[in-house]
Amino acid sequence: MVYGQILINSILLGGIYACIAVGFSLVWGVMNILNILHGTFLMLGGYVTFWMFKLYGVDPFLSLPLSAVSMFCAGYAVQRGLINKIVRAPMFMSLILTFGLQLLIVRLAIYFFTGDFRSVQPSYAGFSIPFMGLSIPFVRISIFVLGVALTSILFWFMGRTRTGRAIRATRMDLDSAQLMGVDIGRIYAITYGIGAAAAATSGSLVSVGFAISPVSDVEFLSKSFIICTIGGLGNITGALAGGLILGLAENFGALYLGPGLQNAIGYVLLILVLFIKPSGLLGRKGFE
Amino acid sequence: MSETLLEGRGVTKRFGGLTAVSAVDFTVQKGEILGVIGPNGAGKTTLLNCITGLDPANEGEILFRGDRIETMKPHAITRKGVARTFQIVQPFAGLAVRENVVMGALFGSQKSKKEVKRAQELADEMLAFVGLSDKSAQLASQLTLAERKRLEFAKSLATEPEVLLLDEVNAGLNTMEIENAISLIHKVREQGVTILVIEHLMKVITDLSDRVIVLHHGEKIAEGLPREVTSDEQVIKAYLGEKYVAMMKKLDEES
Repeated sequence: MVYGQILINSILLGGIYACIAVGFSLVWGVMNILNILHGTFLMLGGYVTFWMFKLYGVDPFLSLPLSAVSMFCAGYAVQRGLINKIVRAPMFMSLILTFGLQLLIVRLAIYFFTGDFRSVQPSYAGFSIPFMGLSIPFVRISIFVLGVALTSILFWFMGRTRTGRAIRATRMDLDSAQLMGVDIGRIYAITYGIGAAAAATSGSLVSVGFAISPVSDVEFLSKSFIICTIGGLGNITGALAGGLILGLAENFGALYLGPGLQNAIGYVLLILVLFIKPSGLLGRKGFE
Repeated sequence: MSETLLEGRGVTKRFGGLTAVSAVDFTVQKGEILGVIGPNGAGKTTLLNCITGLDPANEGEILFRGDRIETMKPHAITRKGVARTFQIVQPFAGLAVRENVVMGALFGSQKSKKEVKRAQELADEMLAFVGLSDKSAQLASQLTLAERKRLEFAKSLATEPEVLLLDEVNAGLNTMEIENAISLIHKVREQGVTILVIEHLMKVITDLSDRVIVLHHGEKIAEGLPREVTSDEQVIKAYLGEKYVAMMKKLDEES
């Protein structure tokens, strides 16, 4: 029985992990920049939902679109105004630039929001659904379903729409994409905006089932990094697989090794994958 | 007199201390096939990179139908009607052959812009034109080199260009495949597309081109009909070296 419950918890956690990592994977895969701001957008999205709930009593699931749209705009602007200037420079430059911005935004967030951990507590926060003798927390299953739904929409968008095609082509071959008439400046900004919106959405979801503070961005960033490396960079299925694997490993690891080591397990996995298959489990060559 | 479609005036490109293209003037007349030849490292590909905006020129003007394009972004130049292929073929390896061509139709062409269905129709036309219809569902990475070169043709034609820049389309092909490629180039011209072709095989360029310019160390050293150019002493020097020219002269004097 305890295994069943842990399995369910793992899958629910894995779903939200996948959702957290998907935007990070997209930005890294398409632009080859390590986006330190990913966790920051996630944190800000969480605060959008938190403040909408706290100040205006808006249900957390209803403020998702606001969170996503506002961070899409912020991401688009950051890419167009700043990152675009160094996108052709070595990867290290993007690391420094986004790290600097991350420091600035997180300090501002601490100043305005304080460093307290916050969590959205809607009236239905404690509900759970009994299922074959197990209990499924209502909020977590909603987060899982929404996370998977949004990831599926992103998957469809990348595969079927005009802009999605342009993003994929840009990822595969920058020069060729330009010569096919793709405006890569615009595509980069849209990609970065989508990455920020995906981060913000998962941040909103996290603020309900878990808790956020201005400094929790680093934790989510490192999770994203681990998930992308495990699953393989640049594809959405890789993020899904990586998220589920990390969710399972963390929960079962906590069972056998004790909860103190839960966060270390991800790093052990990371090192193992880098040894065995550096491109990630579902990764393709050239994306190491 | 025919109309000038593409024109370069004093096009110069430097990489640090190296001048890869030095004050090159050229014109491409509507409907012609202009050959650009020169030994390896002469600056041929760099010149194409300047025209397409991938590596903008440091100095000089490039005009397409009278409009300055040297400061425009690559995608904007493509949409104006300038397309190119690469010497080292660059398909989107993870996409199907048809999807590769759809990219050009979807983003580069003015007519089918923004309409996936229309773009797919145009892509199918282009695949039929280059003879790749039966491969359209395969992944681009599964094609042979000759097929990939034809895919490059289809991709760039799908942007519905007025002028097509071909970078060494024959490199790495066997004699049979070269003949096919040459007849394809003629077929493209019959469709009303103007062509600028880079080549280092003399034989191919003389068969193919209406007019030829010769680059050497980034400078234009000759221009004219293929026949004239290939008998030019400077050109022979550039290709075969000073020693060869001296030897030939000596032989002439002795006989």
